[in-house]
Amino acid sequence: MKKTTILLTGLLLAGCSAQSDTEEIDLSSQSWEDITETAAGETVRLYMWGGDTGINSYIDEYAIPALQEEYDVTLERIPLNTNEIIQKLETEKRADQDEGTIDLIWMNGENFKRAKEGDLLFGPFVEEIPSYQDYYQAEDYEYDFGTATEGYEAPWGKVQFVFQYDSAVVDTPPSTLDELADWVAENPGRFTYPEASDFTGNAFIRHVMLGKAVEAEELLGEPYEPLEEEQSAAMWDFLNQLEPDLWRGGETYPASLEELDRLYSQGEVWMTMGYNEARAESLVRDGIFPETTESFVLEDPGSIGNTHFLSIPYNSPNKEAAMAAIDFFLSPDAQLEKLKPDYWGESTPLDPASLSEEQRAAFDELDRGQTVPDAEKLADTYISEVDADYVEWIESEWRNEVAAD
Amino acid sequence: MKKNIFYISCVIFFLIPVLLLMLKSLTTPWRSGALPDWTLRGWETVFQDSRVIESMIITLGIALAVALINLIVGIPVAKALSHRSFKLKNTIEVLLLLPLFLPVMAAAMGLHITMIRLGLANTWIGVTVVHLVPTIPYAIKVLKAGYDRIPQDMLNQGRMLKAGVWHAFRTIELPLLIPSIRSAIFLAVTISAGQYVLTAIIGGGSVITMPIIYYPFLQSADDTVMSAFSVAFVLIPAAAILIAEAAAMALAGRLFIKRRSI
Repeated sequence: MKKTTILLTGLLLAGCSAQSDTEEIDLSSQSWEDITETAAGETVRLYMWGGDTGINSYIDEYAIPALQEEYDVTLERIPLNTNEIIQKLETEKRADQDEGTIDLIWMNGENFKRAKEGDLLFGPFVEEIPSYQDYYQAEDYEYDFGTATEGYEAPWGKVQFVFQYDSAVVDTPPSTLDELADWVAENPGRFTYPEASDFTGNAFIRHVMLGKAVEAEELLGEPYEPLEEEQSAAMWDFLNQLEPDLWRGGETYPASLEELDRLYSQGEVWMTMGYNEARAESLVRDGIFPETTESFVLEDPGSIGNTHFLSIPYNSPNKEAAMAAIDFFLSPDAQLEKLKPDYWGESTPLDPASLSEEQRAAFDELDRGQTVPDAEKLADTYISEVDADYVEWIESEWRNEVAAD
Repeated sequence: MKKNIFYISCVIFFLIPVLLLMLKSLTTPWRSGALPDWTLRGWETVFQDSRVIESMIITLGIALAVALINLIVGIPVAKALSHRSFKLKNTIEVLLLLPLFLPVMAAAMGLHITMIRLGLANTWIGVTVVHLVPTIPYAIKVLKAGYDRIPQDMLNQGRMLKAGVWHAFRTIELPLLIPSIRSAIFLAVTISAGQYVLTAIIGGGSVITMPIIYYPFLQSADDTVMSAFSVAFVLIPAAAILIAEAAAMALAGRLFIKRRSI
């Protein structure tokens, strides 16, 4: 008992002393050399969702040793769901804890909005990062799902929405929403999409919104405003007409992308979908998806793409080291490695025009795998993500307009 | 006849699912019309994260600590609830069960602030304490049922023969409580080992238990990896129960010898 008391008191004291010696760092007075000098020998704890072996091995097998070599910074990957990470920071903020445990967070969209509005982030810092200055077009990353980034997050990767289909049973995939509707009518029970509360299902419905209700250009950079009834009627009509020919007659929808993927993997439905144009590569390689899986994008309305980012929490104990790590992650070398299908297979947000001839060739020549649509096709169909508030609007409206009847 | 039913239902409801799970962890996902292949990928993924073994040991340690505290707290409370009468007894019994009806997220948020102030956030002690929230109500309930089966007369008899509180507990209550203690330990261990949200918030990524590594993989259609993780996860409660039984046996042996020597 005595021992525990001593231990508890010790911990209490440790907690107190840790709080008192926090340092505010003033970026304007520091050069990049100062920052990397402080960073050397430090440890950076990167908190990120951990449910993908490809992503995990990119960090564990490539990034950890490479960052150690480049900046003498030790990287630690902590698997935690983004929601819990933000939750943790919010409570730490309320408890005035200035010395946290998180140095880097991987996130975008709603989570960024929540973190930024809650003053949970350190910054603005991206202007200090040399790789960012050299290789990225700042105007491309001014907004993250409609929220101004203002230098509080650095672009790490870029993904686009693609559909997967089994070429053994589907001859020519549709290329517009109307063709998709025709295909569904001809093949009843072979298509469905996750419900609107799912991240991917919601993104599918956003494609319908941009194809049927409004033009993508009208919403670009505009704040959220609920759609007029006559506008939105077209998108709900489209989805309602689809419904009787969906899997199980549209009586029920998969609750999540995993369920849709499982239906596809078992051959119940012939198409699935998801963010990240390279997602099918590892699923096919691991025998989860049939080997005849291929991908397509819709030319009309296009394929929504989004960027995900790295941020530093306000109470990161090693902000300099976190910045050094971000500089490394944004560098062409690390981005090229990330594009390789054996690891993550994900596209890069860097600006190809800023690369040297040699670097660009390395990116162009890399074979991303058979299931990934051509780079040209992806670029042609690219449309930006709309304001994060539409996600919520779709979620509640879809329930009334489509699922309820 | 009765025995046969027991064995048959054991096979159907326990043995077959576990064997299927093991088989699934070693094959590619099952698809109609195609034979699955053998693969070690599921198990490679389990051990890809070098912290898996360490996380299993941490999970086991926390689970055992939680089980022990559950017994220390649960036994006196259960005895009081079962063998004494006092004002508001029923109300108190209901109050003690209330934590089970609280949404985990709400509990985690409230407790996190307290844990930060106490300096227990991001430590395994904090995680152990917070795992008591969803376990202690069960322990009290199970142990109370155990005490309900011990007649008050039997306890009175012991006291009449001048057994002290501890002596009576050791020689009368404890042996009769063994089945309930087993269930309480089993419940505490499995509940504690399966916590994700509470561990994630209070442990804050500094305390990496098995679910912290394992749960993100549930968000995929990859049955092979999920089965492998599930089989690996079963080892934790199994090991905890073995340890608890071994400890009980060692303790019982000592108690027995002591009793003989009195």
